[in-house]
Amino acid sequence: MAKNRKGTKNLAFPRIANYNCAAKYIMEQGLEQHCVLQPEMTRHTLELGTKYSPDSVCAPFKTSLGSMIEALDAGADTLIMTYGLCRLGYYGELQEQILRDLGYEFEMVNLSEFTTGKKKDYLKAVKKLNPNVNLVHFAAAGIEGLKMAEYVDEIEETYYKNCGFETEKGSCRKIFRKFLRDMEQVESRSEMDAGYKAAREALAGVELEKPEHPLRVGIVGEYFTVMDAFSNLNLEQKLADLGVEVHRWMNVSHRNIHYSGEKNLNVSIRDLCRFEMGPTSTANIWCARKYAEQGFDGIIHVKSAGCTPEIDVMPVLQNIGEEYKIPVLYLTYDSQTSDTGLMTRIEAFYDMIAMRKKVR
Amino acid sequence: MREAYLGIDIGSISTKGVIINQKNQILAKEYLWTEGDPIGAAKRLIASLEKQFDKENYEIVATGTTGSARKLVGSITGATVVKNEITAHAVGTTTFYPEVRTILEIGGQDSKIILVENGIAVDYAMNTLCAAGTGSFLSSQAKRLGVEVEDLGRIALQSEHPTQIAARCTVFAESDLVHKIQMGYTKEDIIAGLCRAVVQNYLNNVGKGKKILQPVVFQGGVSKNQGVVAAFEKELKCKVQVDENGHLMGAIGVAILAAQGKKRKKFDFAVEDTEFRTREVCCGKCPNNCEIVCVYRDGELIDAWGNRCEKGEISK
Repeated sequence: MAKNRKGTKNLAFPRIANYNCAAKYIMEQGLEQHCVLQPEMTRHTLELGTKYSPDSVCAPFKTSLGSMIEALDAGADTLIMTYGLCRLGYYGELQEQILRDLGYEFEMVNLSEFTTGKKKDYLKAVKKLNPNVNLVHFAAAGIEGLKMAEYVDEIEETYYKNCGFETEKGSCRKIFRKFLRDMEQVESRSEMDAGYKAAREALAGVELEKPEHPLRVGIVGEYFTVMDAFSNLNLEQKLADLGVEVHRWMNVSHRNIHYSGEKNLNVSIRDLCRFEMGPTSTANIWCARKYAEQGFDGIIHVKSAGCTPEIDVMPVLQNIGEEYKIPVLYLTYDSQTSDTGLMTRIEAFYDMIAMRKKVR
Repeated sequence: MREAYLGIDIGSISTKGVIINQKNQILAKEYLWTEGDPIGAAKRLIASLEKQFDKENYEIVATGTTGSARKLVGSITGATVVKNEITAHAVGTTTFYPEVRTILEIGGQDSKIILVENGIAVDYAMNTLCAAGTGSFLSSQAKRLGVEVEDLGRIALQSEHPTQIAARCTVFAESDLVHKIQMGYTKEDIIAGLCRAVVQNYLNNVGKGKKILQPVVFQGGVSKNQGVVAAFEKELKCKVQVDENGHLMGAIGVAILAAQGKKRKKFDFAVEDTEFRTREVCCGKCPNNCEIVCVYRDGELIDAWGNRCEKGEISK
C-alpha cells in the first residue's frame, strides 16, 4: 500500500511498455506528487481488464483498464489517461465510467479532454493535478522525463539488436532489467544520466558472437501492441532468442518526440498511398519500405484485433512485400491469443528467412 | 547397418509417422487418430512402425517431431529435431516436388498456404481466428449428415449442382447447412457445397492476397477428399496435385530435417512400453500464474515448459 503523504495526490498512469519510469519522474519531480507504480502487467491484469470491458474492444483497452484497477488497488487516488488519434481518444472516458460503476472513487485527468489543438489547454490538466505547480520546475522535469524516455528507447533498441547473440545467455537481460529498475528510482538528471551511461557501457561490453550478416527483422505495427512486450507476448524476445537482430522504429522517441510530422512522412510514401490513414499508418508504411530497401530479411506487422488503421496498412505492406521480395508476417493479437500458436508462426517465419538467406 | 530416420507428426486429429532411408524412401508408415491422447497415439504409432520396420538392416539414428504436440512427443521420444509443422510441410513437399510454387495444406485444426520459389519457402500464412475451412469442420458436418468423413469426397463428386453454403464462418456455415438440409436438398449436393465452402473459405482467409502460381500441391488430411480437390481445381482453374503420401508430408518433412540435422541419437522402440505422465502446475510466483507442464517418465521428471520467466523454471 502506498503511503498517502499529506497534501499530495497519489497519481498513476496505466502501464505502457517501459515508459512508466518516465511518467513517474514527471509526476514526482515536475508535479511534486506521489506516483503509484502498479505491478508490471501479467495475465491477471488482462483477466481483470477483460472481465469489465466490452468483448469486442481492442486488447489495449482491456490491459490498460486492468492496469488502472491494479493502480487503484495499490493506493492510487488519481488516474491519468492519455489522449489518442484513433478510438483510443475515447478510451479514458469509457474506462472512467466503468471504474466508477465498479464503485472506485478517484479523480481522473483524461488528457483527451484537454486536447483541443491549443497546447495552452494542457496547462489546465497540469493545474488540475497540482494547483500550486511551479511551472518552471514542471517544464524542466518534463524535458528531463522525455529525455528518460529517449534513454529507454536507445537502450532497448541496442538490447533487442544484440541479446540474441550474447555468448553468455542472459547477460544483456540483466543489464536491461537493472537499467529499468534504476530509471524507476532516479530523482535527478545527473542520476538519470549516470544510470543510462552505465547501462550503455555495460551493454557495449557484453561479449557477442554475431555473424557479419545476421538475420534482420523489422517490426512495424500498432503503437501500443508493437511496443508493449506483455501485449505482443514477448515477440521481440522470442525472435531474438532464435538468433535474429530485431529492429523496431516505432517508439516514443521516434513517433512522438522527434516525429517529422504526418505531412512530411506522407510525402515520402505518396506513391504507395495518397491519404493519411491513422495515427501510425503513414509511419508504418514508410518504415516497412525503409526496412525493405535496406535489405532486411523479413517484416513483421503487429496489431490488436479490430485495429482499423492497421488493417488499412496491410494491403500496402503486401505490395511492398511483392515489390521488394521480402516476406511479411501478419500477427493479430487479442486477449485470447495463445503463446504456442505465436511460437509456431515465428519459428516458421524464422526457418523461412534463414533458408532463403542460405540460398541467396 | 544402414541409417534410417523417424518422423512423427502429431496433429490435433490425426497422428502420422514414417521411417525413411537416406534416399528419402519410405520404409514404414502409419496414420491413426490422435483421439485426444497424443502420448497414447504416439505409442500406438511407434508399435505399428516397429512391426513394418526392418531392424536387421536399418537403424534409426535421428528422430524428428512436428505438429501441435511436437514438444511433448519430442520429449518422450528423445527427438533430435522438434520443428513446427509449416517448415516440416515445406521441406517435405519441396523434396518431392522441387518445381512446386504453391502448397495448400488443410489439416484438422489449422490450414496454411506456403508459397515457394526455387525450392525455398518465401511466404506463408496460417489461419488465425477461425477454424472454418478445416478438417474438423468437415468431420463434424459428416457426423451430422450420417456419413463417414472418408466417404465425403466420393459422394461430393456425384453432385451436379453443389448447394450454396455461406462460408464466412463455421457457425454460420453450420446453420446454413442445417437450413439447406431442412429445405430438402439432396445429400450429394449439400456435401459438394460443403467442399466448395471449405475451399472458398480457405481462399478468402488463408489465401487472401497471395498469388497462387502453378504447380500447386495440396496436402494434409483434407487432401484425401476428392470433392475438395475438385472444388480447388474449379476455383483456381488449374491442376491441383495430390501426393499419394500427402497426408504424411509433415512427418516425411521432419524426418528429412532430422536426417539433415547434425544431432544423432539412436531411437529406442522401448518407449512404447514406458509409462509417461504429464502434470500441469500453476507457478503461483507472480500474478501471471504461468501454467507449467511437467512430463514424467516412469515417475521421473524429464522435461517441463510453459513458464514465462526464470522464477518458474523447474529443475530436473
